Amino acid sequence: MTFIPASEKILDIGNPDRELSYSQAIQEAMALAMEADPRVILMGEDIGTYGGAFQVTGDLIHRFGEDRVMDTPISELGGAGVAVGAALTGLRPIFEFQFSDFATLAMEQIVNQAAKLRYMLGGAVSVPLVMRFPAGSGTGAAAQHSQSLEAWLAHVPGLKVVQPATPYDAKGLLLAAIADPDPVMIFEHKLLYKMKGAVPEGHYTVPLDKAEIRRAGRDLTIVATSIMVHRALDAAAALAEEGIEAEVIDLRSLRPIDTATIVQSVKRTHRLLCVYEGVKTLGIGAEVSAAIAESEAFDFLDAPIARLGGAEAPLPYNPELEKASVPQVPDIIVSALALAQGRL
Amino acid sequence: MATEVIMPRVDMDMASGRISRWYVEEGVRVEAGQPLFEIETDKAAMEIEAPSGGILRKLPLADGAEVSVGSAVGWICAPDEMLPQNQPEAQPEKALPDEASAIPQTQGPSSEAAAKEPASDRRFVTATPLARRIAAGYGISLATVQGSGPRGRIQARDVERLGANGFDHAQGSQDPASVPILSRDSDSDRPVDRIIEPPIATPADLPHGAWLRKGEGPPVVLLHGFGADLNSWRLMLGVIAPSRSVFAIDLPGHGASPALPRPDLRSLADAVAARLAAEGLSNIDLVGHSLGGAVATELADIGTVGVRSLFLIAPAGLGPEINGAFIAGLARATSEASLAPWLRLLVDDGDVLTPSFIRSTARQREDRGIIKAQTDLAAAMFPDGTQGFSIRGAMERLDMPVRLVFGTNDRIIPPGHAMHLPPLAAVHRLPGVGHMPQLESRAMLGRILAHHLHDGR
Repeated sequence: MTFIPASEKILDIGNPDRELSYSQAIQEAMALAMEADPRVILMGEDIGTYGGAFQVTGDLIHRFGEDRVMDTPISELGGAGVAVGAALTGLRPIFEFQFSDFATLAMEQIVNQAAKLRYMLGGAVSVPLVMRFPAGSGTGAAAQHSQSLEAWLAHVPGLKVVQPATPYDAKGLLLAAIADPDPVMIFEHKLLYKMKGAVPEGHYTVPLDKAEIRRAGRDLTIVATSIMVHRALDAAAALAEEGIEAEVIDLRSLRPIDTATIVQSVKRTHRLLCVYEGVKTLGIGAEVSAAIAESEAFDFLDAPIARLGGAEAPLPYNPELEKASVPQVPDIIVSALALAQGRL
Repeated sequence: MATEVIMPRVDMDMASGRISRWYVEEGVRVEAGQPLFEIETDKAAMEIEAPSGGILRKLPLADGAEVSVGSAVGWICAPDEMLPQNQPEAQPEKALPDEASAIPQTQGPSSEAAAKEPASDRRFVTATPLARRIAAGYGISLATVQGSGPRGRIQARDVERLGANGFDHAQGSQDPASVPILSRDSDSDRPVDRIIEPPIATPADLPHGAWLRKGEGPPVVLLHGFGADLNSWRLMLGVIAPSRSVFAIDLPGHGASPALPRPDLRSLADAVAARLAAEGLSNIDLVGHSLGGAVATELADIGTVGVRSLFLIAPAGLGPEINGAFIAGLARATSEASLAPWLRLLVDDGDVLTPSFIRSTARQREDRGIIKAQTDLAAAMFPDGTQGFSIRGAMERLDMPVRLVFGTNDRIIPPGHAMHLPPLAAVHRLPGVGHMPQLESRAMLGRILAHHLHDGR
């Protein structure tokens, strides 16, 4: 993995077409926030000298010191508990999980503490906590290191849950999350860390509650999340050669979910396909489908709503099986074709 | 269509079950959801409910026989329906249930039973929400649409095709602009709403109308009865005040007017209203005979064109009875020989029908398109010799002078239909007159109309 220290890039002022990788964009957001606000600290396992499991924090420990870039012991429950406490008492911690799968170890702190304290204490406190979760499959890391558990956390009122799909959004959503007074969970896709894209310099934010139309089309709407946005865009390019124009919506935010953008799109296209990497059943697609079925867009549907999601099995280690377990570009093309041609 | 009653799967590893007792006797009417029988498995006993309402027809089963899951044990039939032929006998437990019936199910008709129903006999039309929306806009019954989707599901394109073709066919329009199409305008927030335009909106599609006389004052508008055309009113011109403008319309499917693809009272009234609006007419005195009387009442009730008063001669729509043989015979008749006997039913005294009247009527009916249009119209509006529509509701709502004229010897519509009208409506009964006072009692009809219109009095 090539690693470009963010500090060099931050000094690279005056290049509007500047490209950063997804992980550089995240690092830059953290560095900007730490420079601007001494309350912002980083916490997590091996984020210091080692630079993080995916080298996202990089050399920030050298720039901001051990007091602000804190390696935590190998206990997610303990680390998350300290982070919640720090947030409650005036800091703005950014807690990194090595793998999003380990959120299970910290569920008590996330679900029962961070999400609820503002409500249970009558609004007297807030928990301005950001948690970053490297998620998703495709790295050969097998069943305990490859899951997409974002829908679990999106089920909890009191949390905000976002999934950046581009370097631009990775930076903008993180800066918005740091500024937010409440706990924000950011699911980053491991396969996206090396992806490059235009990232403006300086401070900007991306709203935590808005979906983004990545490609306009008239024949069907594909709602996708995270890396599936890119697969959907690849599929849409192939579909265009068949004369089918797919609209691709990057859902971006799971809680709160931007139903309005999807409703407007489906009213135009009359067909909806949801593509997400998490297990299909009881996942994001179920929520999006239900939101459409409950909305005014129902009367504009000209086909059943279709979903493509992860297999109903723990993710396999075998690379071919791993690939077959989550939606790939050909799967999206096949489903979208059947949907657009009235065969579903 | 009978509904199969099957041996349901009530637990995961159940392959067969035994009916321990029936709660309902053979041939008895049951309601959907009513317990039909009790089954016993090796684990439990359970009540099974009727999948639909109807008459229970049991299949002969040996006492205590084990029946495979998914096999039929009986049928729910319509009252006069026989047991479906060649129905599979309940299978004694042997072959494993096939894949479809291996899906755990509690009760209700099996999926095989649904698949066996021929598509033409679907009781529940499957259509996408968008297709339903568009069909409603066109006024198309989904039962008439062939679905191109999976399992015959009707999709938007099926309705759009039919909607477009239907109007093209009926009105000979070659102008694609006259066909409402689905807007794909991405700038529009509510694109589909635009398709819900009345199909009669284009001028070429409007019913034919003619000024019988251009005069002063509020216009008198005349709507003829079933099988006639606007020329039939020329007899009346002499008894309408000479100062009055008189405008008459050929009802859709009559005279020179195009037929409606799916005629009903509302669509007829809408078509006529659109023609009157195109003519710039408002504040009219509306006169209708028979079917035209019903259309006139509906039109006045809709209110899209201002109606000042309503004058109804033997109007349809006041009761279910009508002379069905007359309607069918008139719609079919093309020659003087076939026409004359039916025309005589129009009047009490057949001698008032002159040979020239019969001849000219027959000539108008030489157009095969008219025969087809009027046969279709009769089937739609007078199914099985019954008036399939009512104007009584509309009549209750009207707040304007309303006057009815009935001949006491009407042999088409029973004159008793003029009973029990709202107090605001006046009824004139013409003794010894049939369905066409215009022919048999023209002078009297003219005097009543003049009173009604306050003309020359």
